[in-house]
Amino acid sequence: MATIETVRTAAGVVLAGGRSSRMGEAKAGLDWHGSTLLYRASAVLARTVDGPVVVVAAPGQDLPDLPAGVAVVEDPVEGLGPMQGLAAGLASVADRAGAAFVCSTDLPFLHPAYVRRVLRALTEGVDVVLPLAKGFRQPLAAAYRTGLADLVGTLIGEGNLRPGMIFEHCAVTRLTDEDLLADTDLARHDPDLDSVLNVNTPADYAAARDRPPPLVAVECFGALAKGGTHRPREVRAATIGAAATAAGLTLDRHVVAAVNGDQVTRDGRLPLVAGDTVAFLSADAGG
Amino acid sequence: MAGGLFGQALVIDIEGDRAAGTPLPLDERVLRRYLGGVGLGTWLMHRLAPPGGDPLAPAAPLAFVFSSLVGTPLTTSAKFAVVAKSPLTGLLTDALASSQFAIAGKLTGNDALVLRGRADRLSVLLVDGDGPRLEPADDLAGLPAAEAETLVRQRFGRGWRTAAIGPAGERGVRYATISHDGRHAGRGGLGAVLGAKNIKAVLVRAATKVGVADQAGVLAAARDLRARSFGPATAKYRELGTLANLLAFNAVSTLPTRNFTAATFDGAANLAAEELHDLRGVARNSCASCSIGCEHIYSRKGGGSQRMEYENVFALGPLCGVSDPDDVFAASARCDELGIDTISAGGTIAWAMECVERGLIDEPWLRFGDGAALLRALDAIGARTPGLGELLAHGSRHAAARVGHGSIEFAPQVKGLELPGYEPRSLQAMALGLAVNARGADHNRSGAYEADLSGDLDRFDGGAAHVAAAVDTEDRAAVMDSMILCKFLRGVFEDPFTEWARLLALVTGWDTDAAELRAAARRIVAAKRAFNTREGATRADDTLPPRMLATPLELGSGRTAALSAQRLATMVTGYYAARGLDEQGRVTSDDLADLLLDA
Repeated sequence: MATIETVRTAAGVVLAGGRSSRMGEAKAGLDWHGSTLLYRASAVLARTVDGPVVVVAAPGQDLPDLPAGVAVVEDPVEGLGPMQGLAAGLASVADRAGAAFVCSTDLPFLHPAYVRRVLRALTEGVDVVLPLAKGFRQPLAAAYRTGLADLVGTLIGEGNLRPGMIFEHCAVTRLTDEDLLADTDLARHDPDLDSVLNVNTPADYAAARDRPPPLVAVECFGALAKGGTHRPREVRAATIGAAATAAGLTLDRHVVAAVNGDQVTRDGRLPLVAGDTVAFLSADAGG
Repeated sequence: MAGGLFGQALVIDIEGDRAAGTPLPLDERVLRRYLGGVGLGTWLMHRLAPPGGDPLAPAAPLAFVFSSLVGTPLTTSAKFAVVAKSPLTGLLTDALASSQFAIAGKLTGNDALVLRGRADRLSVLLVDGDGPRLEPADDLAGLPAAEAETLVRQRFGRGWRTAAIGPAGERGVRYATISHDGRHAGRGGLGAVLGAKNIKAVLVRAATKVGVADQAGVLAAARDLRARSFGPATAKYRELGTLANLLAFNAVSTLPTRNFTAATFDGAANLAAEELHDLRGVARNSCASCSIGCEHIYSRKGGGSQRMEYENVFALGPLCGVSDPDDVFAASARCDELGIDTISAGGTIAWAMECVERGLIDEPWLRFGDGAALLRALDAIGARTPGLGELLAHGSRHAAARVGHGSIEFAPQVKGLELPGYEPRSLQAMALGLAVNARGADHNRSGAYEADLSGDLDRFDGGAAHVAAAVDTEDRAAVMDSMILCKFLRGVFEDPFTEWARLLALVTGWDTDAAELRAAARRIVAAKRAFNTREGATRADDTLPPRMLATPLELGSGRTAALSAQRLATMVTGYYAARGLDEQGRVTSDDLADLLLDA
């Protein structure tokens, strides 16, 4: 059982290309609580995996700002669909990670617990973990061995541009809703598997934006703790900046935040998900 | 001579029942290049410490070092450095303390007092304008430093200021402290060095004055600095003290727990300043000449009070698995009474607790989380009782060498000095700072955690940015520790080296600028390293405990933080390059000439 190790060496790949024809504009740049859908997707992966996170862009595609540490890989060929993006993404991280969680940019409710659950299924001998969630295959919310880059490239060369072709040539573990929700963390924070809910049309997008922000806990420490605010209290906030506002704080030279004990940041655009705990502390901690 | 300085150290040779003082002229070039405090102390050790000497031998020098700023109205400047070769690490150690001792010691007419030799009975050393002399002090044997200070003031009069050791210093515990008005020169066993000279206390009395170059300028700067010291950069220290770190560090997975096997502690809230502040009466206090007031003194159940800092709570609490605040308060008080460094005491006991768990030490009562066992172990150390007390009185590195069975792998030390409360795997700029610092694992000479906690770099993935941060914070510490200013002021300076140069210029009259101070910082760091090289340190000493480099740390987020030996070695190599050292970490011949070791 090498699950911890597997997750630890996993990368994140976000496919940002695509025509977005039904949306009418590039989905990567759509606003999401003050940042963008792409910012959210790449930041969720960055806080979940221990390997590198890359965004695969179409040739010449203008991308919105990305979180610190997220790299961009340009798809060498336009118009070959997600298979080409998948090949480019996997190849770009293969030297640093044995596996990658691959997703599209248009998953506004992707939860880290879902990513972890899928990656955890990538045990020895398995090449792909393919969720069958909400009645559909989810190849763009799935885990792949990075060594599959060559296979995908070969399939593209043979004119096979459907992701489904990959699964005929490698070992695939399929996860049903029941399999996914057996994970208690995922079941608690994303019981409807909204992680795989994508937005394809303006109506989808509007409906997603109308949802209330996730419920998170905030704590304030040190000089920021006033009147018992070091104890967790629940607020609704989609970003760290919104959580700071709810706590009566502004991220600046003296105030930083950390989510679930992970990276320390001043980036108010970083996304939050249900169940997060956001700690605010003095930037001059220590001494 | 420049303002604020006397241009000499007084070398005090102790023999039998006598002490004789010999002035050592200090070239102004040396004073300007080393500033004072830790810098000047390091230069003095190069000059006066016999190479390869036993730190507890009579010939080993122990220096109390002042600076040009001591005695000025600049806030936090009533500080001094105590410098010697450490009996815990065998390398250079320096510790700072704040008290009236700094001002009175300097106004004996000396920029430093250096003690050598050994008295033939327990004595106190008095130094004033008439020079040094010894007085017998058999009646002080075994007393806590605070009690000894009270008695000697009664005996010799109120004009004297004291630095004293507790019973652990008398008995040669390798991490014994020197105490001053309840503050401690804490790390590296300086109390054992003083105890080895059979000196229970050093008393100093002002005998002269020294002017500054620009009195009006210094007063104006002091007013400005004082006003800034009340701002947001010091709010944490003022409102909750350093104990405010504990809950915050727990929240960001960097609170070392149960001998560094975890970085979060279930009982953290019980020990948090945010909780205790409301539950316990808290008094605030300031060091001499300080306007910050970081000391927070908590009432204890059953009476009494105790000054609590993050480091003593971390080391005697989470590191040993102890979550009852009264157990931690009692253990801190016991360390003060014995006169031992809380970090080394806690680290060594935590290591022993893990040894007991693994069946390597047969003391089944010594368990993680047991406050009574913690106190019992401290008493054993203070008394150096045969068996466990004697074993642990030498620190975790030495004890691990005796216990064997791979226990050095998890001894929480670098160069023999126990780690402070900063988890290296989740603070990787700090990891480098801990590995390369001359004093050993130390958070005061390398404050690289600032970069890790700034949000400006990836604290789990050490690289070039972390090297730059470690060098920069080490440089700033070298200047602040030598000028001397309290590091709790560091956040009030927008352009530190420029502002510090201006303060130094006002006091001394030198035309010091930021570039000169940066060069001084680099020189001081190099001088420390050159001393350690002389005493046998090699690149192999610039590392972390092996277990930390082999075992990833589980984070609350579900991820892990890992620091491999290869990554640390790469950072160490980068540090050497940034410092201009050779590939083995040695000072190059060009830089050695700049150290003025023959001046």
